[in-house]
Amino acid sequence: MPRIIKQRVEFEGRVEERNVVIEGDDLPVWPAGERFQVIGTPVTRVDGAQRAGGTARYTADLYPAGVLHGAILRSPHPHARIRALRTSRAEQAPGVRLVLSHRNTDAIPWYNGMSRIFDTELRYVGDEVALVVADDAAAARDALDLIEVEYEPLPHVIDPLEAIRPGAPQVHPQGNVLGGAPERYARGDVEQGFLAADAIVELDVTTPDVLHHSMETHGSVAWWEGDTLVIWDSTQHIFGVRRQVAAALRIPLDRVRVLSPFMGGGFGGKNNAGKHTVLAALASRRLGRPVRIVFTRAEESQAAGKRPRSVQRIRVGARSDGTLVAIDYWGVSSIGAYRAIGTPLAGPATELYACPNVRAETLNVFTHTGPAAAFRAPGYVEGTCALECAIEALADQLEIDPLELRLRNYAEADQVLGRPYSSKFLREAYAMGARAIGWERRALTPRSPVRDGPPRRGLGMATQLWGGSGSAPAYAEVRLNPDGTAEVRIGTQDIGTGTKTALTQIAAEVLTLPVGKVTLSLGDTDFPYSPLSAGSQTLASCGPAVRMAADEARRHLIDAAASLLEVAPEDVRLEGGRLFVAGVPERGLAIAELTGQIGNFTIAGRGFRGPNPDGVTIRTWGAQFAEVEVDPETGEVSVLRIVACHDVGRVINPLQYQSQIHGGVIQGLGMALREEHVTDPETGAVLDLGFDAYAVPRITGIPEIVALAVDKPDPIANNLGVKGVGEPPIIPTPAAIANAVANALGVRVTSFPITPAKVRAELGRRA
Amino acid sequence: MDVFVPRTLDEALEIKAARPDAVPIAGGTDLMVELNLNRRRPRALLDVSRLAELRRCGREDGAVFLGAGVSYTRVIAELPECVPLAQASRAVGSPQIRNRGTVGGNLGTASPAGDALPVLAAYDAEIVVATRDGARALPWAQFLVGPKQTALPPDGLILGARWRIARGPGSFSKVGTRNAMVIAIASLCLVLDEEQRAVRVALGSVGPTVLRAPDAEAYAAEAMARAGTWDDPAALPAPREIEEWAQRVAGAARPIDDVRGTAAYRRHACAALARRALRWALEDRRAGGRA
Repeated sequence: MPRIIKQRVEFEGRVEERNVVIEGDDLPVWPAGERFQVIGTPVTRVDGAQRAGGTARYTADLYPAGVLHGAILRSPHPHARIRALRTSRAEQAPGVRLVLSHRNTDAIPWYNGMSRIFDTELRYVGDEVALVVADDAAAARDALDLIEVEYEPLPHVIDPLEAIRPGAPQVHPQGNVLGGAPERYARGDVEQGFLAADAIVELDVTTPDVLHHSMETHGSVAWWEGDTLVIWDSTQHIFGVRRQVAAALRIPLDRVRVLSPFMGGGFGGKNNAGKHTVLAALASRRLGRPVRIVFTRAEESQAAGKRPRSVQRIRVGARSDGTLVAIDYWGVSSIGAYRAIGTPLAGPATELYACPNVRAETLNVFTHTGPAAAFRAPGYVEGTCALECAIEALADQLEIDPLELRLRNYAEADQVLGRPYSSKFLREAYAMGARAIGWERRALTPRSPVRDGPPRRGLGMATQLWGGSGSAPAYAEVRLNPDGTAEVRIGTQDIGTGTKTALTQIAAEVLTLPVGKVTLSLGDTDFPYSPLSAGSQTLASCGPAVRMAADEARRHLIDAAASLLEVAPEDVRLEGGRLFVAGVPERGLAIAELTGQIGNFTIAGRGFRGPNPDGVTIRTWGAQFAEVEVDPETGEVSVLRIVACHDVGRVINPLQYQSQIHGGVIQGLGMALREEHVTDPETGAVLDLGFDAYAVPRITGIPEIVALAVDKPDPIANNLGVKGVGEPPIIPTPAAIANAVANALGVRVTSFPITPAKVRAELGRRA
Repeated sequence: MDVFVPRTLDEALEIKAARPDAVPIAGGTDLMVELNLNRRRPRALLDVSRLAELRRCGREDGAVFLGAGVSYTRVIAELPECVPLAQASRAVGSPQIRNRGTVGGNLGTASPAGDALPVLAAYDAEIVVATRDGARALPWAQFLVGPKQTALPPDGLILGARWRIARGPGSFSKVGTRNAMVIAIASLCLVLDEEQRAVRVALGSVGPTVLRAPDAEAYAAEAMARAGTWDDPAALPAPREIEEWAQRVAGAARPIDDVRGTAAYRRHACAALARRALRWALEDRRAGGRA
């Protein structure tokens, strides 16, 4: 009998109260030391051959019969009003089937009501003005030039610090600060704390706008089958897209089916339906043909979301023994024109270390730039840059080893919510990582700047905390075929992380089948509900449901075998795909024999994700260590080695764990040293419309990456004891690299990316 | 858009004379970016990738001729003795870009950041240009006249570059956001000419076009003469002379501030590159040198 309770649930660094339905008893957590056959083994991707061989069909690969192509006209102004818009020339162009604009489209609310699907006020260079649908993509793009628009340019603001000055141009009538005021947090008395400090470090830290640049760009292909809308979408949440599109088109949920069986990366940039998704659906309805809208790489740079730049100031005070007495944090996140959710910049500063006196203020500021989106640990990557650089600067000032300083301020409980952690094996992560990098080799940071001479090495580190607990609801179904193979259905999506493989392993483990006998299907809203694949929550949300579904099928198998073997069910064992009487292994039969005997009577199971335990905070933890070589003369930084060790609960697949660490480290390295999305303050135009001017790391710049795992199950978080690993490895990467550079040169660059010019400027400034 | 696909140089020059608006395309590594980003909409393209004359590469009459249609991959394979050119070619883009991109494209685009251009400038190369009326050679400095500006006549095509083979060490190096794909912050090519006892240095990305540093060149050659370096590779100029050389090279730079690096840093990088390049060259000579 379901009942509803209220629970505080963490997601992407923010805690919210939700209604949680309790349906029944969850399975007990697999304890530490549980012996597995499939879980914990490095199973290669179940769809690896499909992905590598090019036979996997992504949304961008889809060209259904009769498909028409959409192209979007985007605002050339950072802020303007559309005075007039004429589409007749474009409509008459060869191959053009339809032009949609505010003149012939319902005023569908968008961006949480801040705008509409076609707004007449445009708030960034790239804001949607009109859609052209044509027989081919080139005809659609050519016709964009034939749409005549009279724009009334309006004053704009690009820089977040300018945007909060009085008299700044307003992005929205409610003002340029999201929610009208800073987000504030305080415990203890910070001023008193600083009075007790023997050493105080104050740092100004800035992080750049950076782009997700998923391999697959944003895209949707939509068509109608009768009154049912079918959408293929490159998305991190098929059910979310279904809900948003159904609401936008005012059609029932059961008339919308969303598919995303293969997805080429999202990193938080595909958490929601895009305007292009709704536009494809609207255009398809009008034209009676499939409509395909897939972003170009330039659109991906301009209008597909970004990690917003931050401006931060942190002040940290400690006693001479390194005990923290005060942390004062101030941060600004430039959320672009339309982001509705604040960036949790202050998360690390308020929670990572035991400190009685903490104050934090975060401003989320609208600017006339492309909307910010979640991006792999939003806020926490930026916030960790500030906190962990300050901690290491403090350690240098106090002449305490930076790792030792961290251990002296180890937080045993969640000081923000005032409750215990479900588990915290950060000490183990520190120890394993320090051993692997050879932390004892770290030389003292030079007291005076090293301006010339041969390249110098440095060691630095940083810590991460993040959520990744996952949560209810999520559901899965398992059924067995007459030949003893199993099929799993779950409405999640594999955004490239290997979800499909990990979930298959869980079902195979419970059913004692080899991975090859289990086929898992996902990416279809016809399957049971699963949540957004973000916040490192997919495995921890979906995995327990798959386990429970497989477990129910397993119990049914045992019951059925018991009746065939004429014993009590509790005397039947299932091992290695064989059901037999306990103690009498020869009295039994293979699963396939059993299912063969019952033909199309189907043994099946349904599972749900149980609620998270109440009254505890579930966190992932980790430490990363960087060794760099810096050329003092040119300021160039080479990262030689990164060691990562994270506590993310039980590791289901060590190979995929390693892949996630590699990906996160590489993405973090880009932000640390190279990547910067540049918006021209004069024109509001994006200057890096693709990869020629936006420097994602290349293979030659990628260091040796050592991926270690604490690999201890969380004793209460969920029935698998797992947490997520998608986001954790990016979080400490830029800070660890910055700390290693500081250790090499004796000066600290806190403006990311750490370019050669900034290193040289910092060396010069201290002269 | 019209696309012309001539099979012979004569045909190509006829087309170019009739359609001066036709933009030549070989590997397309510059032009296709412009087209894809809608920065350019040429009315016609002239595919020069099938012209045999542009694919010549090698020694001709005591000089090296490098056809405009030769890919960077081929430069690396076929002109290994031109060390700085091979180094610059390796610094270009990814393997895919090196397979497509050509030195002719670098010359046609005439971006001060074109990797091969400082090398051609340090080689004192001539650029061979053809029209229907025949071919002629222009010194590189008369060909590269400004940022993205060349002296190529509207009815002309770039056949290639030609330079005298100089004996002596040399190198190409650069400082950039990363070594390829993204344009350099500063690049430098140094060539020592043993026969003429000359030092030649060219800078990329730090001015409106590729720059030479004649004042620094003369200073270094004299410093080496004073020290007796030209005759005895073990006799080296004084460290302060090498520093002076580096500062004079930096002084020749005319950098602008842009999103990639400040002007002051670019000038500083030129000095660092110059210091290193000369040290490497002197070490090479002492170690027996590269012919």
